[in-house]
Amino acid sequence: MSKTHVTTTINGEPTEYLCEASQSMLDVLRDELDLTGTKEGCGSGDCGACSIIVDDRLVCACLMLGAEAEGRRVLTIEGMSHGDKLHPLQQKFIEMAALQCGVCTPGMLIAAKALLDRNPNPSETEVRFGLAGNLCRCTGYDKIVRAVLDVAAEQRETTR
Amino acid sequence: MMLREDRSPRRYEAALKVRGAARFTAEIPVASMLHAALVLSPLPSGRVGRIDAGEALALPGIVRVLTHAEMPRIDRPGVLIPLQGPDVHHAGQPVALVAATTPAAARRGAASVEVAYERRPAILNLADGEPFAPKTAGRTATDSRRGDPETALRQAEVAIGRRYTTATNNHHPMEPQCVTAQWDGERLTVLTTTQAVFAHRLAIAECFGLRPEDVRIVSHYLGGGFGAKGGAWFPHLVMAIAAARVLGRPLRLELTREQMFTLTGRRQETVQDLKLGATKDGRLTAIVHESLAPTSMFGEYADALATVTRVLHACPNVATRQRLARVNAPQPNPARAPGEGPGSFALESALDELAYELDLDPLELRLRNIAAHDQHVDLPWSSNGLRECYRAGAASFGWARRPMRPGSLREGHQAIGIGMAAACYPAYRMASEAAVGIGADGRVKVRCGTQDMGSGTYTVLAQLAAEALGMSYAEVDVELGDSLLPEGPYSGGSMATASFTPAVETAARDLRGRLLALASADAASPLAGIAPERMSIADGMIRSGNRSEPVSELVARRAPQGLEARAGAAPEARPDFSAFGFGAVFAEVRVDSDLGEVRVSRLTAAYAAGRILNPLLARSQFVGGLIWGVGMALHEATVMDPHLGRVVGTSLADYLIPVHADMPAFDIHMVEEDEPRLGSGGVKGIGMLGTVGTAAAIANAVFHATGRRVRDLPIRVEHLLRPD
Amino acid sequence: MHAFDYARATEPSQALDLARRPDAAFIAGGTDLLQLWKAGIARPELMIDISRLALDIVKPRDDGIAIGALARLSDVADHPIVQARWPLIAEALNAGASAQVRNAATIGGNLLQRTRCAYFRSGDMPCNKRAPGSGCPAIGGENRSHAIFGGSPHCVATHASDLAVALAALDASVRVAGPAGSRLVGIGDFYLLPGDTPQRETVLGQGQLICAVDVPATAGRAAYVKVRDRASFEFAVVSVAADLVIDDGIVARARLAAGGVGTRPWRLTEAEAALIGERADAAAFDKAAAQASNGAEPLAHNAFKVELLRRTVRRALQVAGGKA
Repeated sequence: MSKTHVTTTINGEPTEYLCEASQSMLDVLRDELDLTGTKEGCGSGDCGACSIIVDDRLVCACLMLGAEAEGRRVLTIEGMSHGDKLHPLQQKFIEMAALQCGVCTPGMLIAAKALLDRNPNPSETEVRFGLAGNLCRCTGYDKIVRAVLDVAAEQRETTR
Repeated sequence: MMLREDRSPRRYEAALKVRGAARFTAEIPVASMLHAALVLSPLPSGRVGRIDAGEALALPGIVRVLTHAEMPRIDRPGVLIPLQGPDVHHAGQPVALVAATTPAAARRGAASVEVAYERRPAILNLADGEPFAPKTAGRTATDSRRGDPETALRQAEVAIGRRYTTATNNHHPMEPQCVTAQWDGERLTVLTTTQAVFAHRLAIAECFGLRPEDVRIVSHYLGGGFGAKGGAWFPHLVMAIAAARVLGRPLRLELTREQMFTLTGRRQETVQDLKLGATKDGRLTAIVHESLAPTSMFGEYADALATVTRVLHACPNVATRQRLARVNAPQPNPARAPGEGPGSFALESALDELAYELDLDPLELRLRNIAAHDQHVDLPWSSNGLRECYRAGAASFGWARRPMRPGSLREGHQAIGIGMAAACYPAYRMASEAAVGIGADGRVKVRCGTQDMGSGTYTVLAQLAAEALGMSYAEVDVELGDSLLPEGPYSGGSMATASFTPAVETAARDLRGRLLALASADAASPLAGIAPERMSIADGMIRSGNRSEPVSELVARRAPQGLEARAGAAPEARPDFSAFGFGAVFAEVRVDSDLGEVRVSRLTAAYAAGRILNPLLARSQFVGGLIWGVGMALHEATVMDPHLGRVVGTSLADYLIPVHADMPAFDIHMVEEDEPRLGSGGVKGIGMLGTVGTAAAIANAVFHATGRRVRDLPIRVEHLLRPD
Repeated sequence: MHAFDYARATEPSQALDLARRPDAAFIAGGTDLLQLWKAGIARPELMIDISRLALDIVKPRDDGIAIGALARLSDVADHPIVQARWPLIAEALNAGASAQVRNAATIGGNLLQRTRCAYFRSGDMPCNKRAPGSGCPAIGGENRSHAIFGGSPHCVATHASDLAVALAALDASVRVAGPAGSRLVGIGDFYLLPGDTPQRETVLGQGQLICAVDVPATAGRAAYVKVRDRASFEFAVVSVAADLVIDDGIVARARLAAGGVGTRPWRLTEAEAALIGERADAAAFDKAAAQASNGAEPLAHNAFKVELLRRTVRRALQVAGGKA
């Protein structure tokens, strides 16, 4: 099987790679590009640990082929902070201890960012249903929901 | 006393984890490593015949296909190390390992290996097995007896007898198990997802005839464990290590989510018969708790289902009895609150049923049966905060407003129900060592060969050293998850923190003493000549009166190589008290009275679990334990086909764990306890408690909402649709 | 994890050309196909990426709406005209899967998703749908999630799409394109009963493509009620789509379809008939709901669906009937 050449943008950087046609985007990120912040929890779209944003759309990297990234803009957890400057969601997750083992955390943060980008003023119910695709086995979700709601409130405050 | 979450140190490794920068086992590359994939038996019982690897070997990237014929023999009774022989004992058992240059190639190879089997008779259902008495039930005695429960039951003013069942559950930490094994002659390095770097080091050394010091186990970040990364993972760890030796190259085996249903243990299903006797005014006079659970064809494991029954409530006449039966299924093993979770479902449901027999408030029934001492071992409690948990939980929850009659509360289609249960979990401990050092740069380093499953071990290690030394938390670095470090405890049984806390505190105090003595004896120090007991350390400064010196300057001058103190601590051989953490959990559920859907809307829980080191992280652990109780009550079931012996539904779309939308509003209360007699520095352990009693509280709330008593977990719509 | 080649189609005609190979498969959202591929169930030699074809347009018209087959579920669910005039579609879409999956999955792919029957999904247990002739272990095994309608001795697997249930209630049609041109197939005819060929699930032939779904206009009041074991991110235990036209308090038209109960999205014609001409009140809804499970053939573990379906129908009618 021949390899596919892909030209794309990952975390703002123009990126080119060769991948097998049957390589998932998740495998490309982790195995070819050493972007291991995107986690593999199931490989079947059932846990959300591999959540990334492709052209402003939250998706599971395990259910996307590496070849499908051609010409797209991909955001992974590695692109969520800028140098030492963390995204407010990352900062809030630290502050509130809205994480434990950390395997769901990158996908959770990316999903939360996607949620707030679309809906800066979510209700608690919207957060809980909006993030239902991101499983966590440690935290019981409580602090995650509170962190997302807090960040939403703070961002509304600063943009007022 | 209120515990302040806002003053708790923040999670030590959080900044790495929120960036995705913490490297988990599967993310650490090893040069010239091969990747393994497994060929699994579809049969639950049989014998492997001819294995044809011809097609697989012809595929690109395949290096070798290993079967039991090529693998070195490893003698380890009681566990099933795969590829040691042709016998198949459960569906999903590995029968060949394919090594390839990429994970994808290995998986393709595994799919191409043809295996012939001789099918053998199988026992696939618990009811078909032959019950026998296991040697132990978890860490406890299999059976117990005090008083004369049979006579007491016969003579009881009120007696009930009920059968409860719980489903097989899988642990499903979010990180799949992974091992990368690397041999260097007779030395071995193993990067793996383990809850026990030291226990695994010793056992692996024994399996391969190595000296323990020639085996290094590394597990820096662990993506959850819950019991699945201890003994249950061990046989497959050994298989991969043996394969790496045969291959002569480093080998990585990473399990798939599907394999985590069969290769990493399971919470065993249970059938539990509970009989309670009581006086009309609600004093328990007899408890008989008998249970049956499956174990595998090769191993023996019984959850400690009766621990809670033996100690939680005062009762003079108690008998507990546990039996196992062998089935052709994967080996069960401990899962969060191993026996205490399912066992308390039976006991605390039965208590609720008794309360209704007596027409007595379920909380009042429990208040009338608080145990003044541990009647099981006939020892005083180190402390027992159960009464305070009942009080604090009930007050915050608003229990007093609960009408007794089921079906009293409604909102539209929703029937609302309120239920409660009590909880306890033993305060276990094991021996631990730790080292606390300080460098010339003034940074403190804690070294302890334990693991952080995500529970907060990094954080509390740093915090304990900082507090005992008088340094700031931010100045502490932690090394854990490596068997080159001082021997730390395994992460399980809620015992890691209780085990290393005294070692870290002793080492830190020792280091502090040495620092003060150095200052006192050092003519160059402003503190020269002052008796150490008149000095203090705070915020990195040694002070006495108006004289002071930064610790870092003292160390740089007098110990430029740094100083380290090492200490060990071990539990008392025969303590003269009994130590448990206690709790009370209150649940509110909403049941769609037409459609049967159950959602938990509120969980209030109060816990008295000794000294709480970090309320912020402790709260997370309690909430995490509670959501496991929600899953056990409403969602989680590993389903086995009764004829094929296979797991039916091997994805996280089939095996339901609670999602955000299932989360109730949590309200957690921590009752602080002073525990000077516990050698653990007062720590009792908290990880399991949240999962004890919770399923019963929810089931009791479902009864209160609907008048339907569901005795089989998980509670599903069909339980609530049936006509009465 | 069979290896395959990949080709990106830029025109529908090119996609159809490439698909002349019998071992080719179209991939768009990929959310089901890649799962099936990973499990070894789908083994295409060529994946034809059709996700960039201009078939993602949502086109409202006076007499209905045409939803491009490649429109993403989330885009359709968020479309203001869909929300205003076909809320049943938006509700059904939002009741399914996760945000991630809804963002990636397409309308056409959703209709073509394979069953969630765990025996089928296992990749290697007996299953007549996956390996014809190998048997159906669900019938005598674990069948809680299986069908009470439309099963055969060969297969009792349910169809898992929420959307298809809504579309069945709305009398939608599927526009199918193939090398010989395109045709319109009513959704009731699009799905096949398993019979003795459970491997055939739709009338779509190899190399054919869904281009769009046509949904007629409706003045109906709609409700989608989905019963499930966890609050979100789960397939239906039972679901019901209702579309009621009520004139002057009298039911003029009633369309009811159910999910989780049939081997294909299941129209509940007897319950519908019981409503027509009746006053739209609780008594009529109860009477209709009582007819919902007529003809059900339950298995050992799914008999509860007989009653649950009636209750879900009643709820859907109450909700739809209660809307202004």
